[in-house]
Amino acid sequence: MRLTKLLERVLSAIPVALGVAVLAFMFLRFLPGDPVEIMLGDTQVSQQQLDSLRSQLHLDKPLLAQLGIFLSGLIRGDLGVSIVKNAPVAKLIGDTLPATIELTIATVLVGILIAMPVGIISAVRAGSWLDRTALSGALVGISMPAFWFGLLMILLFAVELRVLPTSGRIAATMVVDKTTGFMLVDTLLAGNLKAFGGALKHLILPALTLGVVFAAVLARVVRTSMLEVLGKDYVTTARAKGLREWGVILKHALRNALIPALTVTGLQFGELLGGNMIVETVFAWPGLGRLVVSSIFARDYVVVQAAVMLYALTYVGANLVVDALYTLLNPRISL
Amino acid sequence: MHRMKWLLISLAALVFMSAGAEKLTFVLDVTENRSDEGQAIVAQLQAIGIDASLRVWQSTVLRDEMLAGNRSASTSDWGSAYFDPFDLAIPKLRTKDRGNYSFYSNPAVDEAFRIASTSIDDATRSEAYLTAQRQIFADAPLVFSYVLQNIEAASDNVRGWEPAADNSENFARASVIGSDTLVIGMRVDAIVTLDPAMYRDRDTEAVLRNIFDALTIPTAQGQVQPHLATAWRVVDPLTYEFDLRSGVTFSNGEVLDADDVVFTFERILTEGAIDGATSPRAGLLGPIDHVEKVDATTVRFVYKETFPQELVLQALTHFQIVPKDYLSEVGVAAFTAKPIGSGPFAYARGALDSQVVLEANPTHWNGAPELKSVVWQMMPEASTRIAALLAGEVHVIQAVPPDLVERIASVPGVGVHTALGTRSYQIELNNAAAPFNDTRVRQALNYAIDWDSILKNIYRGYADRLSTVFLPSGFGYAQDLAPYPYDPAKAKELLRQAGYETN
Amino acid sequence: MNRAAGVFATPLGRISATIVATYVLAAALAPVLAPYGPEAGDLAQRLAPPSAQHWFGTDSLGRDILTRTLYGARVSLLVGILTVAITAAFGTVVGAVGGFYRGAFDAVVGRVTELLLAFPYLIFAIGMMAFLGPGFANLVAALSLKGWVEFYRLARGETLDQGQREYVEASRALGQKRPRTLFREVLPNVLPAISVLSTLRIGYFMVLEASLSFLGVGIPPNIPAWGSMISEGRGVLFIAWWVSTIPGIALLVLVLAINLLGESLQEVYAPRNKRRGFARPAVGKVR
Repeated sequence: MRLTKLLERVLSAIPVALGVAVLAFMFLRFLPGDPVEIMLGDTQVSQQQLDSLRSQLHLDKPLLAQLGIFLSGLIRGDLGVSIVKNAPVAKLIGDTLPATIELTIATVLVGILIAMPVGIISAVRAGSWLDRTALSGALVGISMPAFWFGLLMILLFAVELRVLPTSGRIAATMVVDKTTGFMLVDTLLAGNLKAFGGALKHLILPALTLGVVFAAVLARVVRTSMLEVLGKDYVTTARAKGLREWGVILKHALRNALIPALTVTGLQFGELLGGNMIVETVFAWPGLGRLVVSSIFARDYVVVQAAVMLYALTYVGANLVVDALYTLLNPRISL
Repeated sequence: MHRMKWLLISLAALVFMSAGAEKLTFVLDVTENRSDEGQAIVAQLQAIGIDASLRVWQSTVLRDEMLAGNRSASTSDWGSAYFDPFDLAIPKLRTKDRGNYSFYSNPAVDEAFRIASTSIDDATRSEAYLTAQRQIFADAPLVFSYVLQNIEAASDNVRGWEPAADNSENFARASVIGSDTLVIGMRVDAIVTLDPAMYRDRDTEAVLRNIFDALTIPTAQGQVQPHLATAWRVVDPLTYEFDLRSGVTFSNGEVLDADDVVFTFERILTEGAIDGATSPRAGLLGPIDHVEKVDATTVRFVYKETFPQELVLQALTHFQIVPKDYLSEVGVAAFTAKPIGSGPFAYARGALDSQVVLEANPTHWNGAPELKSVVWQMMPEASTRIAALLAGEVHVIQAVPPDLVERIASVPGVGVHTALGTRSYQIELNNAAAPFNDTRVRQALNYAIDWDSILKNIYRGYADRLSTVFLPSGFGYAQDLAPYPYDPAKAKELLRQAGYETN
Repeated sequence: MNRAAGVFATPLGRISATIVATYVLAAALAPVLAPYGPEAGDLAQRLAPPSAQHWFGTDSLGRDILTRTLYGARVSLLVGILTVAITAAFGTVVGAVGGFYRGAFDAVVGRVTELLLAFPYLIFAIGMMAFLGPGFANLVAALSLKGWVEFYRLARGETLDQGQREYVEASRALGQKRPRTLFREVLPNVLPAISVLSTLRIGYFMVLEASLSFLGVGIPPNIPAWGSMISEGRGVLFIAWWVSTIPGIALLVLVLAINLLGESLQEVYAPRNKRRGFARPAVGKVR
């Protein structure tokens, strides 16, 4: 029974992703701006050359015919070829995705590492100055534009203190063979510990910039759900049994308070996988977000529609995973 | 109640009376990168009684709007790849040409442009350009503005490098004290491709020029010099002949000869020659018919119409010669993934959107470079580039914002270097519609803006005033033509003549 | 609705309400308080550090940062409040109607919101701004066109919840017309949750505007708004920290106060832990 429900949810994700792809396709084509004009800029070029370029890119065909080409390509598993970069879109996305996934995982880890202790202590000592400080800190984290915070971090840690690198994924002088595209994995596979350390250092500032914002959200959720659970009967019972306070908190309360935290984490994960354009630009991080935004400004329709579709898939997928985990942890809720 | 009514009536009367002579009213449309400048201009125009307001656009959208004739005054910029007005003033101001966003049309100017782009005599061309400039200056189809300098910065340890007018970065003779690797922070978030037939932007070209050689090479100031071609001659008015350097090999050992040169250009000139795609670069060569081999070290460029030799030589600096045998054998995709050239450096590894690593080509015909490797690091955010330079992570950075020059100059061990720019910045005026179909109004705007103050303050002096859209670095520049001076009184007088009220 | 006064019961509520009131007052009185005109700049005075003449320094056109920050309060508050007003009103009505009547309307709107939610906000906003052209009203429109979905989801969920309550059943039994039940009985009970989300979203939209300015598609820079001021200053952060830091702090404090106010509201209205629609707080970031 539950399996069929799950399958149904998985299948229902497909029309959403497809719908988003078609929406993106139409949306993009109604935008002012001609990709060929943008690409050629002020190059010396004749009208005939312009026309032949347009017809090669199918830009001279009616909208529906273009949509047909896009959809029939999708069925064959072909995402098309980038207008500006003349490279398969699947390759472009495949090249940028590992960087984004790596940053996403690091961000979520940073977020959890900060938020869990802060949220728990905040709940246990609810109302204390510690709690108030943590709460205000969380609000500051939420209210900060990421590029501003990121630039300040670069200024402090990279320029003034010189303990961390400013940007990029690995020092220019390090030679790392690309196998998986994940810098941390590749450096380990190569057995190059020095490069691994370097890659880790490069990850810290962007992950911290994004992670602080996420930690702020997560800490508040952890605090709220802990507070609720701490007031429940079984916790009171456990306390009455004479279990040590922190034992109660960690063993009984935390486990039950984890569910909402997991929800927020899962959704954040799905959202971050779409790439963060702003942090990626500030830290010269070659991820998906930067690819998509530069493509939309260049009107590289083919890249944007594929990326938006991918984003929709991860978004729907993350929702699905969260719901599935929810059911797993809390059998009272059905999908 | 009664008082209110009177107030309204007198207000209406006031509005009615002032309707006799109106102020000049228009919207100045600018792109994001010039919004500071736009705000300063609007303030200056308002001060003399022009009712100007500002809108800021995404540049791609603004171009569409201009082309459709929807805007009356907009900022634009246009770069030149030739050090000749051929691909700047002509596309911008010839009747109905591609870059003519102002809808300017003057038969006398068109005729001068025709002579300048077809004559093969330099004196005739130069004369034609001078005529065109004077006419354009008088017609004032645009608000003529400025050319920005290329501002780059480097560690003091870098030797044998200087920024170039066309944003190319030549590291063949460069070295870094205390390091055999040079790292450059690029202004873009990605280069486009490693296939010399498939790009059109300067940043991709900067990288490719270090991997490949061209027949001719520009100096940092744009003078053409022999490179793979050692000598050239005019065979007849439609045919140029080039002698190729002998003993040149690609980094895989393949010999570079006339076959490779012919192959390179056929790839670009033939439609669909690159796995079905067409090169966007053909237009750079002008009205060419074909390229042919005479013998192993001689090639001919045959034109359909006469085309000035200087333009051919300039154009050839932009075409990197590829190895025919290797490319034919491995195919376009494999070649693009692992390109082989004859340049001072060979492609080693990298990703176009983060880091491209080149290693020295020890067998280069002009001697091996001093550097062992060059790393091109993509750093789209200016503040990040500067932070990386100050932190010692990179040795050279492109595109320093003028405001940050001081910050770099104040740090020991790094310095700012500049080169002439090759891009004209201007304000397009819609010559086809009111109010800017009146020459007096266009001239008035040219007098009304205090460019010296704007260039000195906003661009910190790293920009030079232009008299028209002809660049001082280009061929046929009228040295004696002074730009419109800042003269608000004259601007107001012209506006009054055109029937507008001023302050 | 007098329960709202309960916000003032806690010191935190009082402080945050005072801060917000101060901001509103400062925005209203900007022409009186500001020492200079918001668009009057002296190019010779550009990027001047804080001094007696310019308390918070000047920007890259020599305009007084204090003045522009004061005027910026107007624009930023307007962006935040206007966008929230539009999105909350539209989202709540659509969500409540959908949740109350269910049926085809609900199903169609449900699909549309799924599509919108799965569409990345930043790409949507960049595209919308390209399509609509630059301008303040267009920015609010671009933000609103997608922003209503959060309100829709919350309102629909709450309405579904309320629909099962006794009072709704009772009013049905009494033969009241259904729209009357919806607007008189259900909606008032949905509003507390909406008002809490509204306060949280005000700050979110102001930060979003700053992020859009970073990409050059925000409010035109001649109109003083904190978001565009912060992003203008990023280019000169290393030489003139005050240009983006001052409006940054102004934004931070206001968003903080509004969020705290929202929090106090939440405690007054709904001390219980909320369902998922609520456990996904307004995250102050964009992709």
